[in-house]
Amino acid sequence: MIKITKLVFQNFKFLFLSMIIFSSMMVVLLIISEYIFLEPYFVTHIPSGTEFGFFLITAISALSALVIPMNLFRIINLKSSKQKMSGSIVGSIVGSVAGACSCGPVGFAVISTFGSVGATATAFLTNYETPLRIIAIAILIITFFTTIKSLKIECKINFQS
Amino acid sequence: MNKKGAILGIVVISIIISIASFASSPSETYDLDMARTHGDISTAMGSPILGNPLAPITIVEFGDYQCHQCYNWFHNTKPMIMRDYIETGKANLVFVDFAFLGKDSPKASQATYCADDQGKYWEYHNSLYTSQESKIDSGWVNSERLKAFAFNLDLDMELFNECLDSEKYSKRIQYNSQQARDNGVRGTPGFFIVGPDDQKQIAGAQPFSVFQRIMDSMV
Repeated sequence: MIKITKLVFQNFKFLFLSMIIFSSMMVVLLIISEYIFLEPYFVTHIPSGTEFGFFLITAISALSALVIPMNLFRIINLKSSKQKMSGSIVGSIVGSVAGACSCGPVGFAVISTFGSVGATATAFLTNYETPLRIIAIAILIITFFTTIKSLKIECKINFQS
Repeated sequence: MNKKGAILGIVVISIIISIASFASSPSETYDLDMARTHGDISTAMGSPILGNPLAPITIVEFGDYQCHQCYNWFHNTKPMIMRDYIETGKANLVFVDFAFLGKDSPKASQATYCADDQGKYWEYHNSLYTSQESKIDSGWVNSERLKAFAFNLDLDMELFNECLDSEKYSKRIQYNSQQARDNGVRGTPGFFIVGPDDQKQIAGAQPFSVFQRIMDSMV
């Protein structure tokens, strides 16, 4: 597993992509979830009782940064199918969308645009924020292991041929 | 002749129905200072002022009782603002309802004004934010629960139930929510710090340090 991970990330392009994915996801999710404020001053804080939410955001960002470049490596270098890529995308999207709405500007925009349907959707995403993020982490972990497995097989075939 | 008679009949019946429905609709007369404003915001229909009404700074909070970020602010930031600014007379606070999150949100806001009729607005407000449950519209602020909160505060239940069931304050909540929209509030909690010379907007459940920095610059 470590060998395969090293194989992907010793390529600077994939390491750079991974860093970009992690930092951008982390910053965006922390702003949306109100751990970072940009106005009127730049300020970061973790209110008491929200530590677990912060941990889940970190885990989703880290796993997305790990899984998405590995899948891209498979597609680009090994000309594999794009099917397994969907797991990492779905996991990242579910993790990002959960909790993005709530009472902040995103939720307000959704409710203002879609009315009661929007309110129901935001209420669902807010009410099940933690379970949805845990599901997203599970999807990303499964995708990580299936990617490692397929990389092991495909690399062997490629090296042999 | 018959056709004319039928049309006349329909018109008369519609007039009678409209008069009857108008007469049976709950009266919405409040004893309020309609000229009350803080900065650019009309707070006439908002909460009573918490703290010294003559304080040089007013914090106007737009909030929803089902909003978990409002809950975070209530428990993490507000106690320090109370201690350092409101209890010392440097600032006061007005809560204006921005009830948009769920179907139970407007009812919860209405209930606070029913409690205000009996002089217990802030006690009721505090009990809602203390008892908030994490799920929106899960029933934690349905009519029965709102009445239970009132009962726990020893309110006159006959008066409270009559007020809540008649939706006496529904238009007040609509007015307050419109004030939020008109002033560019795009989520809850939203704040305006109104000082002697200017006002500043704060979006979200920001930490005490942000409020402190703004208010200290205004005094």
